[in-house]
Amino acid sequence: MFRYVVRRLLQAIPLLLIISIVIFALLQGSGDPLATLGGRRTVRPEERERLARILGLDKPIYIQYVYWLVGNDWVKIDVDNDGIPETAGTRKGILRGDFGTSLVTRGEPAIDIILERLPNTLILMIPAEIFILMTALAIGIYSAMRQYSWIDQAVTAGSFIGYSMPIFFIALASMYLFAVNFRKWGLPYLPTVGMFDPKVGKTFSQVVIHLVLPIFSMSVVSISGWSRYVRSQMLEVTSQDYIRTAYAKGLSERKVLVRHALKNAAIPMVTLLGIEIPFLLGGAVVTETIFGWPGMGRLFFDHLTRSDTPVVMGILMLISFAVVICQLITDIVYGWLDPRIRYD
Amino acid sequence: MRKNLFRIAVFVAVVGLVLSACGPKVVPATETAAPGSPEPTETAAPGSPEPTEKKIITIAWTQEPNSLNRSYSSMWYMSTLIQIYSCSPWQFDENNEPYPYMVTELPTVSDDGLVVTMHLRDDLVWSDGTPLTSEDFVFTYDMITNPANSVDSVYPYDKFTVSVPDAQTVVMNFTEVFTPWMATLWSGTIMPKHILQPVFDSEGTIDTAEWNLAPTVGCGPFNFTTWESGSYMQFDRNENYWGTLAKLDSVIFQFVPDDAAQTAACLAGDADVCCWPPYEDIPAFRDAGLTVATEPSGYTEGWFFNLREMASPGIRDLNVRKAIAMALDRESNTDLRMNVVKVTETFWDALPAYVDPSITPWPYDLEAARQLLEQSGWIDRDGDGIREDANGNKLTITQGNTNKTERQNYQALAQQQLLAVGIDLQTFSYESNLFFDSFSAGGPAATGTLDIMEWSDVPAFPDPDSSYWLCDQLPSDENPYGLNYFVCDETLDALFKEQVNTVDPAVRAEIFHQITKYMHDNVYYLGIWDDGDVWIVNPRLTGYKFSGVTPFFNIMEWDVIP
Repeated sequence: MFRYVVRRLLQAIPLLLIISIVIFALLQGSGDPLATLGGRRTVRPEERERLARILGLDKPIYIQYVYWLVGNDWVKIDVDNDGIPETAGTRKGILRGDFGTSLVTRGEPAIDIILERLPNTLILMIPAEIFILMTALAIGIYSAMRQYSWIDQAVTAGSFIGYSMPIFFIALASMYLFAVNFRKWGLPYLPTVGMFDPKVGKTFSQVVIHLVLPIFSMSVVSISGWSRYVRSQMLEVTSQDYIRTAYAKGLSERKVLVRHALKNAAIPMVTLLGIEIPFLLGGAVVTETIFGWPGMGRLFFDHLTRSDTPVVMGILMLISFAVVICQLITDIVYGWLDPRIRYD
Repeated sequence: MRKNLFRIAVFVAVVGLVLSACGPKVVPATETAAPGSPEPTETAAPGSPEPTEKKIITIAWTQEPNSLNRSYSSMWYMSTLIQIYSCSPWQFDENNEPYPYMVTELPTVSDDGLVVTMHLRDDLVWSDGTPLTSEDFVFTYDMITNPANSVDSVYPYDKFTVSVPDAQTVVMNFTEVFTPWMATLWSGTIMPKHILQPVFDSEGTIDTAEWNLAPTVGCGPFNFTTWESGSYMQFDRNENYWGTLAKLDSVIFQFVPDDAAQTAACLAGDADVCCWPPYEDIPAFRDAGLTVATEPSGYTEGWFFNLREMASPGIRDLNVRKAIAMALDRESNTDLRMNVVKVTETFWDALPAYVDPSITPWPYDLEAARQLLEQSGWIDRDGDGIREDANGNKLTITQGNTNKTERQNYQALAQQQLLAVGIDLQTFSYESNLFFDSFSAGGPAATGTLDIMEWSDVPAFPDPDSSYWLCDQLPSDENPYGLNYFVCDETLDALFKEQVNTVDPAVRAEIFHQITKYMHDNVYYLGIWDDGDVWIVNPRLTGYKFSGVTPFFNIMEWDVIP
């Protein structure tokens, strides 16, 4: 197992390098970060060129990539455009932990911007994911065990409706119902936007109450999808001979479900979860935008539309790294779930 | 048994947490009492003054600024917010008229127009008590023009030099006459020398100065206190303010990127002020008892016509452009905008003194439009409803804009209306950063891919200057960021160059009469609607006025009804 893990980690290095090259190349088509910098103020060509030189945007793409990777403190830059490189570069490159500085918030390190938002994303996404999984498991298992009952039919119909609804519709509808109209009707109401009320401060109860609507919005679609998947996996597993044998041995339904059925049904679900978990870091763009949640999803979208390569690359590389690690963890969990799987 | 007890304990804890967080917000004891009961008051320690509720307002802000140093940001959302914590020599009132703010009187201009002199008040101080003098202006000028600082633009600070005969006098010496100086200079850009000079001395640049993102020392009615990225900014009253102390204790700008969510926040009372809401939400605001305040800001939504060599033959035909102007029922569009806007004609409609009074709006006249097209030989020869020229080339016009909903709605309307006269309007929508991309990056506006481009824009309001139609602003490989996506017309170019160097306001106005008439008669630009600022205000807020140039000019007078 140790050799397997080491081998996978070594394989991840060239993989992440290739991913970074592909993403960097694709980002060049996202627009010119200097195009709208001056707003409606007249910006002379020499000013744009000066900014491009200072920000390193005048270099060919492959040079920009090399500077992003290993830094430019080993070369000198011609800042004053006299043809003589005189100013030492200050970047160390991502291999030395320097994610670069934002082109939008000039001077602010990209990693600082990302780390400022990352905890907010985890606060939103982890409880959401736990809620989704627990609810989907409960609904899916119950639905499978009571196949074709009226509850199963109702759950099925609800799942199809929930899965079909666009998330922005659910988000806005729930906001208008529980925040705007409930308040108008004199009922207990929820807040509309934000992670907390700035007038009250970032307290635990404030964050919890502000989590309700975003988590509800994300959950409707996800629970609908996951519960159907759990149901189908459970139905497949419970029709196996060993389940029949377990019942025949006199085990209770609960023991059969938990010890035998669920563990085997969980294997493909672990695959899906392993793919989904790293993307928790990316946040939820639509939900965060509608509810004004200061997370990574909104950060990514805001900086992508402004062609802020350092921040966008930082976010994407973080997610790529998380995908690689999570895939490794997923494979290890497989081995625990299914004793037939061995790694060497 | 233990497992069950544990589960029950966890369940009770979770339910308890949720219930403690739910429910209406805590209302201070000083607010509404039950009828007939004595007014409840908060208990205070004996002998201490009555504690009062803080006066805090929340403004929903759709875009988060990228910097709090004016020189590093061109965003409207930043240049407006800066009025809270920064100061300018002059401001503009609710009629968009300038008045002295940091200066004792509006600056004087020499007869030749080359020297502008400002006399500062002698009571100006930064929020930390340090006197604010002419040295801060010199420092600001030096930082903006220093190539070591990657400011957004040096314009127009590279047009003059600064001298300071004494601590209260600032003299700007222009190399050539520059008439738009009042609209383009010193607006929220003053930097504290005592804070930033040490940064520049040690790092050789102020690019990485903490002050750019956390300007804890300012000269406005409020002080910056907090910026929680993606969430909000808070500004508290500046107790050292040299002017009238603000009535409010704090102003919070909460970032709400989604229009519908902003509307919900205003309707629910989570935000006291919203700006630029979708027009279709205005009836809902009125029904909820909120005030809808509009203020001309100089912005006009309009169609810019591309007459460069790559444009289609159709759009370069003057009769076609006139026909387009007469085939669009622009009044029907204002109905769609809840009659909050009105139809505009020229790029300068918000500055009527500069618009030729003889200009009459293009009438909505389909028959006249058809006649003009036929005069130019555009006839529907194959009966498909689209006109062709003598060689069979279709009268197809491409039109593009950014993917804002109301613009896309207007595209659909315009398409129908132009089809009625046989013009095939092909429409495109782009993300804003791609639409305005540079020439070298293949931006559709810059490269002339589109015959007609639509967006909302403004001259140097309240000054009429604009460089959009200057020939040296045509984008090219040598000038990839040029702003003239439209036409190089020598007559127009000469007029624009003449006006910016004209000192006499009456003569300058006359030049603009020629410009507006020339552009109107040649249909170089077609106004669609005036895109002024729309503010939604909660009735608990009083004393507010808005300016189209410096919206928060009187924020120190804002108050809340307790």
